[in-house]
Amino acid sequence: MPISKIASHLHHGPRGSRFSGLATFALPFAIAILAPNTLFAAPICVPPPEMKTRLQHAPTADDYSDLGLWFASHEQYDCAADAYAASLQTDPAQKNAPRVIFMFGSSLYLSGDIQEAIPALQEAERNGYKDNRLHLMLAAALDSTHDSAAAEAEWRIALAFDPEITSALDALSTDLLNDANYASVIDLLDNPRVLPQRNPTQCTNLATAYERTGKPDQALEVLRNGLNTSPDSAPIAAQLAALLIRGDQNEQAAAVLDIALSHNPDDPHLHEAFGTVLARLNRMPEARQHLERAIALGDANPEAKDNLAKVLKSLGSNP
Amino acid sequence: MSAIPAFFPKRNRAVVCLCLLLAAIAAMVGLSLARHTPASPGLIPSAFAAHQPSPKLWPISIDYPEDGSIFPPGITPPTILWRDAAGSSWNIDIFFAGKTPPIHIVTGGERIKIPPIDPETVRDTNKPPTLTTEQAAMWTWTPDGPTWAAIQAHSVSAPATLVISGMRDGRTVLSQARSAFTTSPDPVGAPIFYRDVPLMPTPGVNGVVSPLAPNAIHLIHWCLRDIRKPASRVVLKDMPTCANCHSFSADGKTFGMDIDGPANDKGLYAVVPVQKHIAIESKDMVHWNADGAIGKSRVGFMSQVSPDGRYVVSTLAGPTLDLRDSYYVTNFVDYRFLQVFYPTRGILVWYNRATATRNPLPGADDPRYVQTDGVWSHNGKWIVFARAEARDPRQPGQPAALHSNDPNETQIQYDLYRIPFNNGKGGTPERIVGASQNGMSNSFPKVSPDGKWIVFVQAKNGQLMRPDSKLYIVPFDGGVARPMRCNTRLMNSWHSFSPNGRWMVFSSKARSPYTQMYLTHIDENGNDSPPILIDNTTASNRAVNLPEFVNIDPDGIEEIEVHVADQKAIAYARK
Repeated sequence: MPISKIASHLHHGPRGSRFSGLATFALPFAIAILAPNTLFAAPICVPPPEMKTRLQHAPTADDYSDLGLWFASHEQYDCAADAYAASLQTDPAQKNAPRVIFMFGSSLYLSGDIQEAIPALQEAERNGYKDNRLHLMLAAALDSTHDSAAAEAEWRIALAFDPEITSALDALSTDLLNDANYASVIDLLDNPRVLPQRNPTQCTNLATAYERTGKPDQALEVLRNGLNTSPDSAPIAAQLAALLIRGDQNEQAAAVLDIALSHNPDDPHLHEAFGTVLARLNRMPEARQHLERAIALGDANPEAKDNLAKVLKSLGSNP
Repeated sequence: MSAIPAFFPKRNRAVVCLCLLLAAIAAMVGLSLARHTPASPGLIPSAFAAHQPSPKLWPISIDYPEDGSIFPPGITPPTILWRDAAGSSWNIDIFFAGKTPPIHIVTGGERIKIPPIDPETVRDTNKPPTLTTEQAAMWTWTPDGPTWAAIQAHSVSAPATLVISGMRDGRTVLSQARSAFTTSPDPVGAPIFYRDVPLMPTPGVNGVVSPLAPNAIHLIHWCLRDIRKPASRVVLKDMPTCANCHSFSADGKTFGMDIDGPANDKGLYAVVPVQKHIAIESKDMVHWNADGAIGKSRVGFMSQVSPDGRYVVSTLAGPTLDLRDSYYVTNFVDYRFLQVFYPTRGILVWYNRATATRNPLPGADDPRYVQTDGVWSHNGKWIVFARAEARDPRQPGQPAALHSNDPNETQIQYDLYRIPFNNGKGGTPERIVGASQNGMSNSFPKVSPDGKWIVFVQAKNGQLMRPDSKLYIVPFDGGVARPMRCNTRLMNSWHSFSPNGRWMVFSSKARSPYTQMYLTHIDENGNDSPPILIDNTTASNRAVNLPEFVNIDPDGIEEIEVHVADQKAIAYARK
């Protein structure tokens, strides 16, 4: 979105200005689009008293930017976006234009207007704005619109600045996994700077990548290490148990699920998995106990009931 | 009780008794763990071979000490670190060879505590130290002094085995892991001199970042550490001017150090005798190139005093170049890796202290190459150095690197060479096979005191403070280079051999962005051991680097005073 388009955003775009308490808030764009339904539908943007005077008398682009900052600091992102748009409209060639465009885009993003935020953030990038938050926000916005190729590029830029950003590592590795780009997941996460910081999402993504490239031993190592780092992570435990079961290591899988349940005693899925593994190990009374507990906790998986029925049958009981 | 050595602390005697009692009961009822002893008695001492973790138990991650670690005698008690998803309390057993009774501790585990910070070095551009995800999950146990002394005494002739067993209800063992370690009979035998520095990158008015603002230079400390003592001693601080690379002669009698000097003159080098109270005066300063006889640049780089203290070898830009034509330098606001810095042109020069003359070293003064990192062999007969084809530090239009290891850094890969010193006449440089032409950048060589080995740093590009840097060892005559066992995950560099050659100290960011120091033992065949952290070397938000063993008594230097800056500079620095 070029600056001129951003500046005219309030004239022609879907947004309305909602500044109030400014009797002489004589902005052409505000008058042009001040429709009643907009006024009633959207939150009222009330500037702080100390800014009103500045805004009443020939406000400058900086005045609007300051107002945007004030709204943003009060988490009124809709209002902040309007104020930044006003700033850009007042002086499209202002010295801080790249930053103001970024603030405009980030306010749109934080207000939930992702579709409008993306072109604004891309414009800030084109104008040379340098801040890693830009890439992180743009990547997240692109991911939410399922433009994963563009999102991946932005995640990578963000990680080049700082290879330890958790949100970027989580999202990029998930995108790459969805693309079946397992080698890139391994490159990204099996990295000395990432290893000490790996969270459950990164552990499970890395283990999946190893498993799908025919390296189950590395997957096991990643998951075991990950569970020692995040003992209460049910996803790590579940993936580790599943991998062990696939390798016919049911005793070890049972031990993993036992550990996981000690940290998550009310997780129905862990109870179901534990009950199933115990049944495989022919430990039917315990299997029954855990499958019944899973169902009692709301496990809606029909297999839980089927497995419970099989266990009860083997125990000589009726379901 | 007679079996319990007198040096066990009182509180441990009870648990040792209990341990022996339980072992006896277990043996009576036929539950002796000895039945699990693997059939390899020649390799694993039987006393602890019984304690191989059962494959049915959940594997604990022992993060420190790593299996195969070798501790120096007398080092302060280490903090054992482990992570365990299964246990909520732990048995810690340390088994010894022979008839020495094991040590047994029951612990609920304590979390890692971040040591105190230095409030003076907190800035917007750095962050207080935090625990990594792994560190936050770690449990710790530190033996008290007498217990550690006992462990060390019984782990010299054969390894001790640390077995950690996790319990959920205080009884049932669910998890286990082991780690074997030894105490070396080789003492470290010398203190370590190092720089203790804040990580406070400072953006300037024009966007250019300084690694440290001029008014913070006085926060740099220089310290001496006896690894047998729990803390270091600051021997130089409040310097009004910047000081950098230092070196000591092999006999510990001569000390050399880059000192910027009055008016921020970066071309000065101090060479002084080592004594308890060292005073560096203007008369002690060497102007590397005051008369322009060996080029336009005044700045010496990575200077090193010869083993006998008679000479200093350094890198200068060359006859026609100045500083900006010969160094690639970029600083970042990311305090974790805040600087990229390496020469792209340069020649080796040597300084004769007796005659106060400086001369290029023939054979290492070829302007077609950058020749740098010159270090002396143990006997002073050779100089080992890094060499690459010379190039401009930057190409026109080259994009700025935005972070360390950015592909936009000027790419340069050094090879290691050696050249005879030959009383300053030099000779023909010989490429060191194994440390050259391997698709990596080979730099920062150090020759072992017995002259058998070169330890150097390998990274993808450039040298110094590279996140991917690893230590390698290669025979002095060249051969197959081996990655060292002591390498940590992140940044391994600035190494220095102990005077007896059996220990090496180096810096790493493995545990924190605030660099720490580690030791490794090196045997006569060049085999080294996993890294041993030197605890408590500075505040947790300061970095330690440039560690160097000094061949002196532990208290051989008490204070260094620098009197080469004028009062105006001092006032400015303290402002």
